[in-house]
Amino acid sequence: MAVHRTSVQNDVLRRDGVRATRASARGFKSVETRYLAERSALFCGLRNLDRRSFLKVSAAALGATAGLAAPHSFTPVCVAADAEDAGAKPAFKFAYISDSHLYEKSVNDRFVRGLLRGVDDVNHLDPQPDFVFYGGDLAQLGQPAQLDLGAQILKNVKAPLRVMVGEHDWYFDMGQKWQELFGKPTYSFDHKGVHFVVLNSVVERDFWTARKMSPLERMKTVAGLDNGVQSSFTVGEEQRNWLKEDLAKLADDARLIVFSHSPLYKLYKKWNFWTDDAEEVQAILKRFKQVVVIHGHTHQLLTNRVDNIHFHGMLSTAWPWPYAPEGMPELTIQMSRPDPFDPNDGCGDGEVRVHADGLIDKVYSLWNRNPITVSRAYTVSWGKESVPPKPNRVSY
Amino acid sequence: MRHTSIQCRAGAASCILLAGLLAGCADDTPQPKRSTDVDEVRVKAATTAKGDEETVQVGACDGASAVEVPKTLTGQALAESLMDQWKRNHPEANWVAEEKERHTLQPPADNSKLLKGGQAKGDAYGNFTERDLLTWARETEKFAAEGSRIFHDADALGSTVAVSCDMCHPHAANTHPETYPKFQVQLGRVVLLRDMINWCVENPVRAAKLDPDGPKMRALEAYILAQRKGIMMNYGKH
Amino acid sequence: MKRQKTVRFSGPAAQMVLGGMLAAGLVWALAALAEGPPKTPQGKHGEAGMEEQLAELQKLQPAGDVTEPPAGFDPVVWAAFIPEDNKPTPQRIALGRKLYFDTRLSRDGSVSCATCHDVTRGFTDQRAVSEGIKGKLGKRNAPTTLNVAVFQMLFWDGRAATLERQAGMPILNPVEMGMPDEATTLKAIRDLPEYQQAFKDAYGREVNYRDLERAIAAFERTLVFVDSPFQRFLGGDAKAISPQAKAGWELFNGRGRCVACHQMNPSNPLGTDNRFHNVGVSARHQNFEELATQALAALQADASEQKLDELTVATDLSELGRFMVTHNRAEIGGFRTPQILNVGITAPYMHDGSMNTLWDVMDHYNKGGEANPFLDGGIEPLALSEAEIDQLVAFLFTLTDVRFAAENQRQFARQQAVAKKDRPFRDNALALRRTLPFEQRVEGGKSTPKDKE
Repeated sequence: MAVHRTSVQNDVLRRDGVRATRASARGFKSVETRYLAERSALFCGLRNLDRRSFLKVSAAALGATAGLAAPHSFTPVCVAADAEDAGAKPAFKFAYISDSHLYEKSVNDRFVRGLLRGVDDVNHLDPQPDFVFYGGDLAQLGQPAQLDLGAQILKNVKAPLRVMVGEHDWYFDMGQKWQELFGKPTYSFDHKGVHFVVLNSVVERDFWTARKMSPLERMKTVAGLDNGVQSSFTVGEEQRNWLKEDLAKLADDARLIVFSHSPLYKLYKKWNFWTDDAEEVQAILKRFKQVVVIHGHTHQLLTNRVDNIHFHGMLSTAWPWPYAPEGMPELTIQMSRPDPFDPNDGCGDGEVRVHADGLIDKVYSLWNRNPITVSRAYTVSWGKESVPPKPNRVSY
Repeated sequence: MRHTSIQCRAGAASCILLAGLLAGCADDTPQPKRSTDVDEVRVKAATTAKGDEETVQVGACDGASAVEVPKTLTGQALAESLMDQWKRNHPEANWVAEEKERHTLQPPADNSKLLKGGQAKGDAYGNFTERDLLTWARETEKFAAEGSRIFHDADALGSTVAVSCDMCHPHAANTHPETYPKFQVQLGRVVLLRDMINWCVENPVRAAKLDPDGPKMRALEAYILAQRKGIMMNYGKH
Repeated sequence: MKRQKTVRFSGPAAQMVLGGMLAAGLVWALAALAEGPPKTPQGKHGEAGMEEQLAELQKLQPAGDVTEPPAGFDPVVWAAFIPEDNKPTPQRIALGRKLYFDTRLSRDGSVSCATCHDVTRGFTDQRAVSEGIKGKLGKRNAPTTLNVAVFQMLFWDGRAATLERQAGMPILNPVEMGMPDEATTLKAIRDLPEYQQAFKDAYGREVNYRDLERAIAAFERTLVFVDSPFQRFLGGDAKAISPQAKAGWELFNGRGRCVACHQMNPSNPLGTDNRFHNVGVSARHQNFEELATQALAALQADASEQKLDELTVATDLSELGRFMVTHNRAEIGGFRTPQILNVGITAPYMHDGSMNTLWDVMDHYNKGGEANPFLDGGIEPLALSEAEIDQLVAFLFTLTDVRFAAENQRQFARQQAVAKKDRPFRDNALALRRTLPFEQRVEGGKSTPKDKE
């Protein structure tokens, strides 16, 4: 029995000798045609591999986790192949959820549903990550009820949980409730030979006392991304000193991952995608061979590299931010413009696969989209290799 | 915010004027010169005159501001004393400046070219003064600032989920008004900017639809268009 | 002695008997009207007989051939959907019609296109899943062949890029018409002179499979039925639909959030965006991860189109939807947005026919579908009230072409009666956002609180 050809291949010459001129010949290509072409390319690609590569690829495609493909990620050939980096096999992985901006359930059910979906996602990872990291902005207006709700939902995370503070958690009561629930905002820990540091990078100079603001007014001011009354974020001298001390015992080639809520560089001041003392903080990190900084706050796919520091953003579970009109790092390949009909589009959670040298593959598990991986090879090669896919709907 | 809307302010101003006119329309009262007369009058109005003169209480239509003034006080002076009182009752009356400080409003276009040269003699239309330009700029800015206020206020939008427009559109980013009219996939048909604003109001903001010709919608449109100043029009762009 | 007795209908007793008989007759006649002309399933699989269907078709389409763009479609868009090699001609349409009703194209001679796309049953079979040769059941609900001309791709998962390709696939599917290959199919009709002549007249060629597909497609393109009360309302007749239906139309565009996927405009009046969405139908029955692994294994073993066709219709892999075609993880469990024109007469609903009435469909969307990791993000609880649901359903029933008004009325009455007794998909706690989707999954899978107020 002859193999039935796909309709794309039928385009050229039919077995009955008729040369078919489909509608596509007139330039009218249906969405279907493109997908069929991609699918046929997938299988043609498969047939062209040698046996060993074929097995590797099929293993990846079948979702097997030899640390190559993300579990339950049935990524087509090229991405699976890229995930196999020469000599750098991931040592372990952790997952993250970030920026949930919770209101009480009766006020806004969507944001709660977002966090629930994030928790559901990480609980269904197989195998389970080493730990789950929460990237900050658990509450929207820092209210005790909101923080309590978030803490209660996060209790359902199966893996061990580490939490970081964001500005929305802090500026209602200057972190009082948050610290009651989660402890110190600034701390460090070691895991499988990697030193992790968690910073409170959203320290703002007092702008509220002179204006006689109430706690809620202060919080609402900070909550407005485009609210120019608030001050720029800083790490601050106290924390920088703490950081120097904490890192003192590390060798220059140590594996180091720093978490901060806001990006530790200067992207766009008007939206506080910014750290005023970024240079000072980067100076502290300069002596290391390579450092990874993972941040939240920006609610988007964001990649940057400054000398030895590789910066990666985390997705939000609540809503996506647009990309800044200026100051965008060159390495960032933007995610496709989200569809507002889907309140979850452009949102998600994700994983971080930590390699033996401390650098990471950053997996953005976008909801209702294929996951995007910004791999170690991409930032190491300054954007030449392993390039993530370009968006098909660009920002305005 | 505690301040009143544009309409009420405009209304307040006109009320005050009307009150002023009604308070005493003696035609032979000379129009006071702007500077000194008014200051005198202000001082007088500030003191509650007891005994000596006959005073009358004149209220503004915000229901709160009122002044007790001599019955002979009329016109401009009366209006200004009332305005003074109103400002003292509403210290955040500088709302446009506040809004601009908080949310960075783009300034309206600079029309000063119209003042320079070429104003044809005998051409009534097209001869503009600085005062005209100031009026235009001020009114335009106020309209856009009102839009900014609503844009950033979930309660003003009527949101039932405490979501305001700036949560996805800081500084009205990603609103792309220059692409309308266009086929809006979320609505399955061709629409204008205000239809999409209403779609957002109904969906992400989860509020009741705004009246498309009402003051809130028009103000929101004004703000969104203002923030996109300078971008080329490109209707139909997805 | 008189031997003959003439029975006279007179006297009060007789009058009562007569009255009773008349009354009974009236009741029977009314019942028959409500039921409609008795559907005599003469087909082997519960469908109407081919002769009856053809007669019905003749009544619906007295003009027969449609070669001009039909009223109600934007002519420019219409023209774009006609392929170069299959321009409609009376001969091609006649051949297609002949093939559509021909059971010889099935392995056991019992199934034709019209078996599952029955003219008297809204051009579908009004069954949850379709029945093919030897009584085999598939896994998917038969979409209607009405208005298929302007679909961008066919099947629930879009695996056929054109109407032509779609026409040829069920013939070769083991649970549908069951032919092993094209050659065997052609053998069934190749030697018949009427077919030889018809193919020559239509395409100037010998009997061949590609032309068979083309002819069926050409015939199907004539099945344009968009003249609904709603269409007339849009055209300016304010009285064409009830106030309830108008309120439903408002909800459709507003809080119901229907219009984003069920788009309706003059260039695309069908009410579909031609995209694929996982709306969480039957999600509770599936382990999507496991199914997807199985699917990739199966498709790597045999990558042919025919295999794909079999897997998607005959096996549990059907539930993966669009993923079977694109292998896109984001499209697991995604199915094409169906058209909503004539939706009143094409029950049951959804890809697996699991929803009996439109009230069930409303309940499903109202509660935000079924939470699963691949659920389309735009699906969320809508908090619609009972009255609003009734309005939406009323609106949906105005989308049926006026030529099917009787069937539409029958279906409305049937669905209303069924919905009054039982609403299996309703969940008020979820719909009114008292419980949230994913909440039960996260908090250890507590049983669904079925809140039936």
